[in-house]
Amino acid sequence: MKKILNRMLDYPKVVLIITLVVSIGLAVIMGANSRMETDLDKYMPQDHPSFIYSDKAEKWFNIKDGIIIAIENPAGIYNHGTLQKVKKLTKKLQRMKEIKKADVTSLYTAENIIGKEKSLDVSAFYKKVPKTKAGLEKIRKNVRNNEMIFGRLVSQDEKVTVIIAEIKDGVFSQEFYHRILNLVKSYQGPEKLHVAGRPIVEGTLAFLAPKDMKKMVPIVILVIILVLFFVLRSFKGMFFTLLVVLFSTIWAFGLMALLKIPIYAVSTMIPVMLIAIGVADGIHLYSHLHLFMKANPAVGKKEAISNLINKMWKPVMMTSVTTAIGFFSLLTSQVYPIKYFGIFTAFGVMMAMVFSLVLIPAALMAFNLPGWKKDKKEKTENKSTLVSGFLKGMHKHKYIAIMLTAAVIFISIIGMNKVWINSSFLEKFEKNSDIVLTDKFINENFGGTSTLNVILSSKKKNAFKTPEVLRALDRMQQDVQKKLKVVGNSFSIADYLKRLNKVLHADDEKYNVIPDTLNMNGQYLLLYEMSGDPDNLWKVVDYHYKKANLVFQLKNDDSKTLNSVIAQIKQYKPEFDKLGISINYAGSGYKALVFTSLILEGQISSLILSLIIVVILLSLMFKKITVGIIGSIPIMITAFISFGVMGLMNIALSTTTALISSIAIGVGIDYAVHFIERYKIYAEETGDKTLTAEYTMHHSGRAIMFNAAVVIAGFLVLLFSVFPPNRQLGGLVSLNMFTSFIGTMTIMYLMLWMSNVYFKKKKEK
Amino acid sequence: MKHKKILAMVLSMIFIFTVFSFAASISGLQVMMKVYKRPVGYDQQGNLTMTLINSSGDKRVRKIRQLWKDFGRVEKKIMMFLSPADVRKTTFMNWSYDAAGRSDDQWIYLPALRRVKRISSDSSSDYFMGSDFTYDDLGDRHPSKDRHKILRTETFKGDQCYVVESKPKNKSYMYSKTITWIIKGKWIGLKRAFYDEDGALLKNLTVEKYRRIKGYWIILHSKMRNVQKNHTTDMLMSNLRVNSGVPAYKFSVRIMKRGL
Repeated sequence: MKKILNRMLDYPKVVLIITLVVSIGLAVIMGANSRMETDLDKYMPQDHPSFIYSDKAEKWFNIKDGIIIAIENPAGIYNHGTLQKVKKLTKKLQRMKEIKKADVTSLYTAENIIGKEKSLDVSAFYKKVPKTKAGLEKIRKNVRNNEMIFGRLVSQDEKVTVIIAEIKDGVFSQEFYHRILNLVKSYQGPEKLHVAGRPIVEGTLAFLAPKDMKKMVPIVILVIILVLFFVLRSFKGMFFTLLVVLFSTIWAFGLMALLKIPIYAVSTMIPVMLIAIGVADGIHLYSHLHLFMKANPAVGKKEAISNLINKMWKPVMMTSVTTAIGFFSLLTSQVYPIKYFGIFTAFGVMMAMVFSLVLIPAALMAFNLPGWKKDKKEKTENKSTLVSGFLKGMHKHKYIAIMLTAAVIFISIIGMNKVWINSSFLEKFEKNSDIVLTDKFINENFGGTSTLNVILSSKKKNAFKTPEVLRALDRMQQDVQKKLKVVGNSFSIADYLKRLNKVLHADDEKYNVIPDTLNMNGQYLLLYEMSGDPDNLWKVVDYHYKKANLVFQLKNDDSKTLNSVIAQIKQYKPEFDKLGISINYAGSGYKALVFTSLILEGQISSLILSLIIVVILLSLMFKKITVGIIGSIPIMITAFISFGVMGLMNIALSTTTALISSIAIGVGIDYAVHFIERYKIYAEETGDKTLTAEYTMHHSGRAIMFNAAVVIAGFLVLLFSVFPPNRQLGGLVSLNMFTSFIGTMTIMYLMLWMSNVYFKKKKEK
Repeated sequence: MKHKKILAMVLSMIFIFTVFSFAASISGLQVMMKVYKRPVGYDQQGNLTMTLINSSGDKRVRKIRQLWKDFGRVEKKIMMFLSPADVRKTTFMNWSYDAAGRSDDQWIYLPALRRVKRISSDSSSDYFMGSDFTYDDLGDRHPSKDRHKILRTETFKGDQCYVVESKPKNKSYMYSKTITWIIKGKWIGLKRAFYDEDGALLKNLTVEKYRRIKGYWIILHSKMRNVQKNHTTDMLMSNLRVNSGVPAYKFSVRIMKRGL
């Protein structure tokens, strides 16, 4: 290895040109073949039972995500203009190719089930907007008397009405999103129109997040460039270190494009990882070179570079290989985007290693060594006294340090218990953003903008015509709605049967209950089919009445809300078991909840797995188990504090925040290996514990600090983002870098020092 | 004597008219009127099997005993469910009047309630018993409500057919147009395509089987497929008897309660 690397030094320009050409080639392939995956369903593991079931249920009951357009008129909605607007907007939406005509629900399309002359009548609330006051008043009265409509399509104060447009599967696009927004805009005034619903939230997110990133990323990179320049004090050093990061990113994404694997949202975390990790190798290399040249000012270019390779190839390779294996452990995840994230980050890390060992020496050969200005002697001395002071202090207070670490870990564990998973999309926006305010407005006036579908399933035909089953369903539905404030509304086959029973008995409230016999239910439903649109029935029950879809409208889309509803429903499980009915869930909100839990599970299991791998690898590399265990300290500290802080600061685990803890693997290993390797070399060289500590701190410690400083400074910029998830990303990446750094320099070092590894034998000798 | 003369004159005029129109041109309205007025006897009875098939291929089968009688100014029809079990004996009665503008009278008997209820039928665009047929589609719609145009004549399934396009005079009607293939001479519509308000194909009606019974051309099997919802209704008549002398008293509320 060493030989090959040294041989390459003879042909620096060839190496540079080959890397450049291949990188440009991959960049071209990337540009041509890369595809962003925007269909959220594609992110889910298709073979997971929850998703298979939910997908099936979505087909059975035509469950789709809906856009909600609220039309608000402070003077009340029952006037010619507003009702005309509802009609026109409904028709416009029905004609969009992304929306099926029957999937638009509004006061214009809704059917009014009423009893008339001792019989049933199902008709529209209006076809042509009435011009007379009496006509408008009649609509108002009809709505008020129909609990299937009042509070659902028209607010209690009669000032707001909603149009719900369900969107076909997989057709949502940015273009459609803007078309909807523009359509709504064109109908503004005098009524105020609001748009909400999951597709709009997702659309806004997909629109705002990259827009914000486009603004922030250049600043992040600029800060990294500046800090990197400042710590390396060399333009060339900075340039080639960044080139390593850039090329490894291009190669990772280029390979992805070559293998026709689309870019997922989590894939955007790959460059984040590669910046944090890739910068490290360059810094360590240049830092070593700098120190070597300072110690030996007379040596020639070739010799200096050769020394660099000889001394550094091993730690660079060890860190990279362990880090890559750490990321490979993400293959255990059930979620494909996470698996890909693991594979391609690992590949990128390996490429960063290759470039660091090939490109940087080649560049040094081709473009001369960096012209470091000679540091003033006192400064270095100052630094060394600073280092030895720091070490002395630490040795003196080592038990305090250990206690402090224990305390921090203890607090972190408390925090970790508070960590909650959140699959919410709304949480990602500022509290005072338009989208959150609209959502709040609609939630205040209607059932809720989020839904949970509860799928009840029996093996028997006509199960959902039997009174016992329907009564149990109705009881559960009423109970959940009454007990949980977040549940604003619910809808099921029970509502139809109660309504039919009531209107067929002259609107007698006594009959607002489930009819008494199976035949009666069957006949009522037949009667309804004769007068109304049976398609509405198939949204709540299947063709053979074996399965039912109970829809809960929720005022929040976060995981706490969903879990509270599910917990309440679970209490009814024994009762439904007795009736031979199973309970399942469906819908995009539920899928997101399961998905996030899967990611978290995978993340935790991969963290544990990589910890084990790292302990084994380090034990093998350094031929000592104690070293393996000590080397895993930075990873543990970083992971503990990362999750602990999230719990304490109420930052919910989501797909991205969970992945940030991967930095613990990447950076924690890096720091541990570089530090221990140096420690080992100096221990062998000097045989003196104090000197070893000082030299290690001066060499590795310095480089680690530089690495942390560069990445922290860069990512802190994201704290100024207008987009909360990006702020969280910035804060958490910085935090993880900081704790990895501190953990390595304090507790890991202390353990190394106290364990006396690399010294025992010598003393014995 | 006088009567005979007039009759002969009328007959010859009809003959001349028919020959003339065949030789030269027949209007779209005339074709549709011939279909509308095609004699089907003065009474019919039989069993109807209505199969509803949804987009995932699930089937619901309903068996119905059906009586129909022409009373001159009013046509009466009574239908009793034989299966499925939960709606057995549920009975539906429809009186359809010749007089322009008078809407049908409809009743339903629900055995679980032991009561006959009137159903208001303010719209002939309502779907018939959850099927893909509206009352209009079943043949209730008078041709004068639409403007008709013969697009062409062509051979369809081995028969010489007129292809007639019909557009509603009332623009707010649920169909923007229909196109019908009508067999020359038999005046049976073999196929009809329905287009929705936005001009997109909505449904296809196809006649699978028809037969000459007692000199009348009678449709025995037809299929309506809603291409937008991917839902199909299959209507199959069996044991059909024409002019068998269905008694008039069968079409009453009393019989609905008692059973056919």
